[in-house]
Formats: sequence, C-alpha cells, structure tokens
Amino acid sequence: MTATVEGVPLVLYLAVSGALFLLGLLGVMTRRNPLLLLLSVELLLNSANLSLVAFSRYWNTTDGQVFALVVMAVAAAEVVIGLGLVVAVFRQRLALDVDQMSSMKG
Amino acid sequence: MGERIVFTVAAASAIASGILVVTLKGPFRATVALIGTLLSVSVLFLLLMAPFVAAIQVIVYAGAIVVLFLFVIAYLGERPVAEIGDRLGRYAAFAWLAVIVLAVQGVVVLTTTRLPGVRDDPKPVDDIGSPEAIGRSFIDDFIVPFEATSLALLVAAVGAVLLAKRAIRSEGGR
Repeated sequence: MTATVEGVPLVLYLAVSGALFLLGLLGVMTRRNPLLLLLSVELLLNSANLSLVAFSRYWNTTDGQVFALVVMAVAAAEVVIGLGLVVAVFRQRLALDVDQMSSMKG
Repeated sequence: MGERIVFTVAAASAIASGILVVTLKGPFRATVALIGTLLSVSVLFLLLMAPFVAAIQVIVYAGAIVVLFLFVIAYLGERPVAEIGDRLGRYAAFAWLAVIVLAVQGVVVLTTTRLPGVRDDPKPVDDIGSPEAIGRSFIDDFIVPFEATSLALLVAAVGAVLLAKRAIRSEGGR
C-alpha cells in the first residue's frame, strides 16, 4: 500500500486470496461441466489456505499452517468423492451437465 | 525489494491462471491452468515462511489431485457439454451480481480495516513453518483434528469404492 514498505504487508496477501476466492466463486456458479466445477472448488480451497497461512505468519503462530494442511486432506477426500460421482454419472448417461442432474434415485 | 518482486510475479501468475481455470472451455486445459495457480500459491507460501506447507501443496495438490483429475478427464474423453436446454444460463447475471457485491465488500473491508500492522512490514517470526514445528503442533495441540482427518480420508476411500461398485453393477456387472 505505501511505497516505504520493504516487505509484503498482510493486506496484499489477503487481496490476492480474495481475488482467487472471487474467481472460484464465479466458476462454481457459472460452470456447467461437473469436472470444471470441481476445479473451481479447488480454487476456493486454495484461496482459503492462502489466507490461513498469511494470518499464521502475521500472528507468528503455527496454527494456521496446521489448519491449511487439514484443509488439503479434506480437499483430497472431496476430489475423490466428486470424481467418483462424475464417473458414476458418466457411466449411466452421457451428458456431463449439472443442469440435467436434477433427479435423485437410490 | 526482492520479496516484493517475487510476490508481484507469483500473485499475478496465480490470478492469471485462475482466470484461465474459470474461462477455458476444455477440461484438460483448465486443469493444466490450475497447476499454474497451485504452483504460484506455493511460491506465496514460501514467502510466508511456510516451506513445509509449500512442499505439501506441490506434492499433494499438483502431484496427486491434479493427476487424479487428468486421469478422469482422459478416461471420460474430451467431450463437449451439451448446450441445449440452457436453464442455468439465465442465472449467470445473478452470479456476476453476487461476485461484484462480494468484491466491493472485500475492497471496503481491506481499505478500512484497523487491524494493527496490517499494512506495515511483516514482523520477523520464529520457527513456525518447519516440519518439526508443524509436527509438534499436530501432536501437542491438534491431535483430535489430526485423527478426525484420517477418519475422513478412510470414509472417502470407502465411499469411492462403493460408488465404483454400484456403477459397475448398474451396467449389468462386469
């Protein structure tokens, strides 16, 4: 923000994280291919991780980094289930479009 | 000054590849663009004194998750999405509206925040990002979230196997 600052202040990291979050949000709301939807969700999780690690640096504590690692494990689990669902849907009918996946049946 | 330059390059490339992830049509290209975002964010992690998280970001995200995506895309094949029956297309305006409102809120919050030192040089920190510090933190303070994470991964693995079995059975068994 100010020209005299040598390093990178926290507010810039938060701005980058916010920009990535907005991009991911836009992707989740406008994408129709479930694969691309999951990619946008990854973008959202990464922006949250960036905020966590930036605050961890700001408060001089390890907690934020630990939570970022937990978020990564949850992201891995989410991708496994999400891609499993995509493949299961793909094998039943051919259109890969979240618009047409509107009915649930056991 | 060097930190500033690295930060500017990494942040610009993260946002540029993020835009590509959201706009590119082909799933394969969008996934490759996601690799760019992930690597740029891991450079930002390095600048934030978090080398272990940066390494895990490269190994787990760029190494495992993106490869899983690429395998599924290769399995499904590049197939254009049917653009018939554009029901959700009408609501794209609301998506843009929500994003713009959220962006304005974020700008207002970041420009008016009174958090002490949020715009100054970052203070020097102790050893917070080494594997030893993170391991101690996991074992001492966060043992329950650690075990809960392993349970979540187990449930995800079992769920993936069940999904695959059901899909095979619905095809008449194979």
